[in-house]
Amino acid sequence: MSVDLAPQRAHGFGAAPWRRALSAATRCVVALLGLAIFIQAFIVVQARPQDLITGVHGMADLIRRAMPPDFSQLPATLWPALQTVDIALFGTFVGIIIALPLALLAAANMTPSRVAYYAARGLIGFTRAVPDLVWALLFVTAVGLGPFPGGLALGVHSVGMLGRLFAETIEQMDMAPIHALELTGARRIQVFSHGIIPSILPSLLGITLYRLDENIRSSLVLGFVGAGGIGFQLLTAMNLFQYQEVSLLLIIIFVIVLGAERISAELRERLS
Amino acid sequence: MLRLRGLSLRYPNGKLALSDFDLTVAAGEFVVVLGGNGSGKTTLLRCITRTVRPSAGEIWLGNTDLCALEGEKLRRARLALAMIWQHASLVRRRCVLSNVAAGALGRHFTLRTAFGGLPAAELGAARSYLAEVGLAELADQRAGTLSGGQAQRVAIARALAQRPQVLLADEPVASLDPEAAEEIMRLLQRLARTERIAIVCVLHQVELAYAYADRVVGIRDGRMVFDLPRAQVSREAVHRLYLPEAA
Repeated sequence: MSVDLAPQRAHGFGAAPWRRALSAATRCVVALLGLAIFIQAFIVVQARPQDLITGVHGMADLIRRAMPPDFSQLPATLWPALQTVDIALFGTFVGIIIALPLALLAAANMTPSRVAYYAARGLIGFTRAVPDLVWALLFVTAVGLGPFPGGLALGVHSVGMLGRLFAETIEQMDMAPIHALELTGARRIQVFSHGIIPSILPSLLGITLYRLDENIRSSLVLGFVGAGGIGFQLLTAMNLFQYQEVSLLLIIIFVIVLGAERISAELRERLS
Repeated sequence: MLRLRGLSLRYPNGKLALSDFDLTVAAGEFVVVLGGNGSGKTTLLRCITRTVRPSAGEIWLGNTDLCALEGEKLRRARLALAMIWQHASLVRRRCVLSNVAAGALGRHFTLRTAFGGLPAAELGAARSYLAEVGLAELADQRAGTLSGGQAQRVAIARALAQRPQVLLADEPVASLDPEAAEEIMRLLQRLARTERIAIVCVLHQVELAYAYADRVVGIRDGRMVFDLPRAQVSREAVHRLYLPEAA
């Protein structure tokens, strides 16, 4: 009885020696390339691991001075905490209002023209490319300090992610029910509200909840540039060396972030 | 009710998909169109619905020539023209009743219906259409949970909610088992008789055409080969439609 070993030879134990050598050389080159990339990153960021060891005392001193958290400041931090959550809510809401019509224009299967498609894609890309901190600085300059510029910054920056993901969701939806509704004589807005929205609503809500979760985390940082919320209070406390207040604020931030993440994950799971 | 006169469609690449097609379907008449793949059956239906614009010819729906209309006038004229497909094309996340009532949206443009509300006046009628197709008990069930046969019957109920004069069906039983297919064909035949709807149904199942059609139209290479009462359609004539080369 004879067995044909040709397929095994081509791919495995019976392969020609030169092919095995080539394969080993390729693996070696890939490994060296990976190592080179890591080393250049190490050099560019001027990494000094030894400084971490010598700086441990300073960090320990800072933590010691931050303990125990100053809970007497709790009532005063509740309002900024609410502001932080509301900046994220406001920003997400503004983001949806701008992103949804843009997504319809930026979805290949819905757009009325190629010009509208590229214009919408360009706008969505631009809002995403500019970081939210830069948007916040721009809006602080325009409307002054406080939570409002923070909300606007998150709203505009959210358009980038929401618009792109909404457009992708629309492009992937089953178009047959939409064409069926069009042929019943339903008007465009009726096709939109009765066909498109019910088909993609769970996906849109899932994306929105994920973005809200992101926005809550972003709104904490926006306070650093004067856009209100608990971040502004954190910056002030650090500048005034009020480390016990800083530790209290960090606990509140931890609770907000973790709470938002859990609620968002729970709701998204229910939607799916 | 539906009259096609000299209907032709030539694609931009020069291919003639439909050539000088004449057809008249009276109210209450059930016409089955037979033909091989690529013979022009679906193109014929797409021309009638004006999903594609015919290169030449007329499509008369009552006293209206659909070929002469565009935009809002075409949308209004198309209200009398319902269509069902091989797949039911329901909005899967909405309930069965909402899907059926959506068939009447074209006649009800209010703030409520523009933003996802159903025409309240049509909900009762939608229930009766569901009863007519034998699915009254599934009104509140989500459309995505229905079997293929049930979904197709809901699609027919949605077409009825449109209150059409003409119903076009593009291989409505192609994805169904034989029993469900017979059920759908019986339903279409009954609707043609009782509701006086002119039905044009594209099929691949020759036996169903013999069993249910009033008239059978044969189409090959975009041309009508025969248009006869079903009793006069020979097996040989049907067989020739599916031969690789013209006999």
